[in-house]
Amino acid sequence: MTSMIELIDVHKSFDSLEVLKGVNLTVVKKEVVVVIGPSGSGKSTMLRCINGLEPILKGKVIIEGEDLHGPHTDPNRIRQRIGMVFQSFNLFPHKDALHNVMMAPLKVQKKPKAEAEQIAREQLCQVGLAEKMHAYPDELSGGQQQRVAIARALAMKPDMMLFDEVTSALDPELVAEVLGVMQGLAESGMTMVVVTHEMGFAREVGTRLIFMDGGVIVEEGDPREMIPNPKEPRTQKFLSMVL
Amino acid sequence: MNAFFNGEIFKDSLWLLVKTLPTVFEVLVLGLICAWAWGLALSLIRLSRFRALRYLAGAYIDLFRGLPLLLLFIFIYYGLPHAGLKLNALSSGVLGIALCYGAYSAEIFRAGIQAIAKGQTEAARSLGMTHGQAMRYVILPQAVKLVVPPLTNELIAMIKDTSLMSVIAVPELLFRAKEKMGVVANSTPLTVAALIYIVFTIPLIRVAARMESKRRKRRPGGKPPAGITPEAGIADAQLYDADIAAQLPKGGYG
Ligand SMILES: Nc1ncnc2c1ncn2[C@@H]1O[C@H](COP(=O)(O)OP(=O)(O)O)[C@@H](O)[C@H]1O
Ligand SMILES: [Mg+2]
Repeated sequence: MTSMIELIDVHKSFDSLEVLKGVNLTVVKKEVVVVIGPSGSGKSTMLRCINGLEPILKGKVIIEGEDLHGPHTDPNRIRQRIGMVFQSFNLFPHKDALHNVMMAPLKVQKKPKAEAEQIAREQLCQVGLAEKMHAYPDELSGGQQQRVAIARALAMKPDMMLFDEVTSALDPELVAEVLGVMQGLAESGMTMVVVTHEMGFAREVGTRLIFMDGGVIVEEGDPREMIPNPKEPRTQKFLSMVL
Repeated sequence: MNAFFNGEIFKDSLWLLVKTLPTVFEVLVLGLICAWAWGLALSLIRLSRFRALRYLAGAYIDLFRGLPLLLLFIFIYYGLPHAGLKLNALSSGVLGIALCYGAYSAEIFRAGIQAIAKGQTEAARSLGMTHGQAMRYVILPQAVKLVVPPLTNELIAMIKDTSLMSVIAVPELLFRAKEKMGVVANSTPLTVAALIYIVFTIPLIRVAARMESKRRKRRPGGKPPAGITPEAGIADAQLYDADIAAQLPKGGYG
């Protein structure tokens, strides 16, 4: 089985506002799916439905063959296999970098302290923050915070990663260091769904490009073909604005 | 002047009143522990996903915020015995404080928990933490820092409200001061009682004010806490101001 994520006719509403209007998406192992679309089109909501942070109204979310909303499924256990990184970092401000990263292995996976710490050190080295183990989030730059957040997600050894506009809150000169880490991760074979406006990243790292608008997937394809030659008028209009 | 400050009576009453302090502390410490534990439990129930329990906790909080503590003391001490439940004066005092201040504390804890940015819960849950784990390891440790100033203010109000227990014959400061006033036909004992209250409340008032000004300096203007976007930081601070400040006792609750 290589299908990591399957969304089948997923509908989602906030009160009377229908935000996802039947989303179908299958992501297979090692794919790097880049999601673009105008603000409010439901990109974040789709990511949050993939790991069950948002309940859905209708449809199915299947993670590695398991129905996320199945009667015998524990969503907490499934979430351990799905790393997620947010636009606003969401590091735990009361813990230093090391403890941010080791918290979940320690408390969720119940690993022994020494092992959790070992994992955290390795992950922080991986994202180039060996020097910042004991820095608190407010002592780190945005780019460094976001790399800690990535390390924190990776410490759970997830099978797939979700990125929600992780460079949008960063100063331009800090974007590259975060994209670099993500590119390395993609090259190591991680399955990824990346919501971003970085078209360079989409072209170079993405294996598939998805354009969302109004709560549905309007168009998808190979980024290297789709970016220069979008088929749908809505995609054309959006791309002409961001490029 | 002599009616309020007579040297001889002052010395007499001072010792008499200081001797009541162990009792006052006992009620205060027990009441405080019970009220805060009960308040924390109530706030967690109030934010849980069990609708019926949420509703019950909300109703409890509204009810006990709406009742005068004095009435509660009298009800527990003089009313409950009619229903066959007889508590001594001290236990009645502790129970009254726990019931009433539990409701206030619950609102303070709830505001503190809700002031922690939603992103914190999301980050915790996305790592596979359960609701309980997210509360315990991520939300509560941060909320505790936010609720220390309002809880300090609450403690000040609680200290003053121990005086209400004089009506249920708890031998505390005001009770003894009134007794002594009757004997010496002079107000000096009351002056002494006032001084003793002030010795305990004023330092706490200063501490609370210091924490408040430090928080104001740090939060909205300065660097926002990590993991919170600047807008969210300000929104939090405003929520905190509006919500927690609104819960604060403005004086005694009696
Ligand atoms: N928690 C929420 N409550 C109500 N409406 C929401 C909530 N989250 C998102 N929305 C609404 O859903 C729509 C899609 O939001 P979102 O998925 O964040 O879009 P995107 O990430 O593509 O910008 C927007 O109109 C937004 O206002
Ligand atoms: Mg979004």
